[in-house]
Amino acid sequence: MRALTFKQVTSAFDDLCAGLRSWRLSQFLAWQDIKHRYRRSTLGPIWLTLSFGIQMVTMGVLSSFLFSSPLEKSMPYVCAGMLLWFLITQIINDGAALFVSTSRYITQIKCPLTVFLMQVLWRNMFVAAHNVTIYLIVAVSLVIIPGPSILLWPFGVALVIICLAWMALVTAIVSARYRDVPVMIQNILNILFWFTPLMYFPEQLGSKRFIADFNPFAHMIALIREPLLGATPTLNDWLVVLAMSLIGWVGTFLFFARFRARIAYWL
Amino acid sequence: MLSIIAKEIHVEFPIYDHRMRSLKYTFGLGQLAKGFNRFAPRNVNVGGQIGKGETGRIVIKALDGLSFEMHEGDRVGLLGHNGSGKTTLLRAISGIYEPVGGEIRTSGRVVPLFDLQLGMDLDATGIENIWMRGKLLGLSTSQIKASFEDIAEFTELGAYLEMPIRTYSMGMMLRLAFAISTAITPEILVLDEMIGAGDAAFIARADLRLKDFLARTGILVIASHNTPMLRQWCNKGMLLERGKLIAYGPIDDVIARYEKN
Repeated sequence: MRALTFKQVTSAFDDLCAGLRSWRLSQFLAWQDIKHRYRRSTLGPIWLTLSFGIQMVTMGVLSSFLFSSPLEKSMPYVCAGMLLWFLITQIINDGAALFVSTSRYITQIKCPLTVFLMQVLWRNMFVAAHNVTIYLIVAVSLVIIPGPSILLWPFGVALVIICLAWMALVTAIVSARYRDVPVMIQNILNILFWFTPLMYFPEQLGSKRFIADFNPFAHMIALIREPLLGATPTLNDWLVVLAMSLIGWVGTFLFFARFRARIAYWL
Repeated sequence: MLSIIAKEIHVEFPIYDHRMRSLKYTFGLGQLAKGFNRFAPRNVNVGGQIGKGETGRIVIKALDGLSFEMHEGDRVGLLGHNGSGKTTLLRAISGIYEPVGGEIRTSGRVVPLFDLQLGMDLDATGIENIWMRGKLLGLSTSQIKASFEDIAEFTELGAYLEMPIRTYSMGMMLRLAFAISTAITPEILVLDEMIGAGDAAFIARADLRLKDFLARTGILVIASHNTPMLRQWCNKGMLLERGKLIAYGPIDDVIARYEKN
């Protein structure tokens, strides 16, 4: 493999900057995606909220029953956790399909590739924003008051999105070249669901608690979920996600720089 | 000054099929590829040359060391047989395929217009599609607002603009796509075949709009087999054959050369 050239690095950087600068375009495209999905349906995007709500009631009740925790405790816990789990897995899975599904655009117009990455991020944030209503209904009806750590909450959300962005970009690049990867990723994420404290509390793992401690997604989820539930994420959660974002982005950037120009050829 | 300067550009396509594209292939079945060379065309004028790339992979050499310059006011018609590299060159000029060797430098914003209907959503209304296409063509919100009336009026679609374009006829859809695409002012315009709005009754108006659109364009590069059309719109011609540049000069000379083959 040839080494990285200076030009590859600067072009990748330009692509990244141009992608960020055209946030209006990616936001517009993402909103079109949502509209497209629900055209001609009467309820439209309300379906997003509704189906999430039904799922949460089912899972909340089931979790309280299976893991014998009080419903008023498990309901908001499951709801906040799943909200994030859907956000995380959907961004990564969309990432895997990213360049393949936009190949018509990539081979026909000159557009920074990161615009399409931003489109995936926006789209999933819109979906999550719909799902938040369900959490709000649960939180208000159970009178859950977020703790002071809620002040840091926006930073937690931003950090998690930044972290997910590189994960989506890496999967996108690899998936454009190797078409088995999207299916592989999907399977890995399906299995990871059971190893992430979503339906159960980490304490309930007992001596197997390391399963949650070594799961990077568990830390991402804790970072956003705990403040909502009135608890405080640990310093460890912050450090793990911060380190993942930094190291992940450095690696991803170099990887992107090396293969950016090849992506159009792979499609 | 607008310009396109290409120095010794090479574009190669690695061949992947479903087998080679999977991980399985990379880890051991690479030998299969060797058989491919047996099918390499010899003494045939169609397609790029098949050869080995730097990493030993089978590649199609779509562009093989092209050098040329284009400047403001140039209207270049690209000629060549199927697979001679016309579309690849258009995409290289547009920055979609970055050459594996050599360098292509463009000053000015390049607008490739290959598929006028790219990004249009059948279930969205005409108006929504004007926004969608406008955004994809790189227009800002205020620019779309400014040219909206002009586009709407040109299409003569009236109340239909409020309807999903699923209800349009082919001709109406083309008309809409054409109207939006010709609303921009491209510095460098890249076309694969001449764009048009079909519809016989409409052709005179479309021609007028097209003439105006191309006159606003700084540099035009267009690929086509239609020599009378190229004579009408172009002042220069470029002939490609199997990824190599055969001739570049006044359009009439290059067409004569093309027709001799």
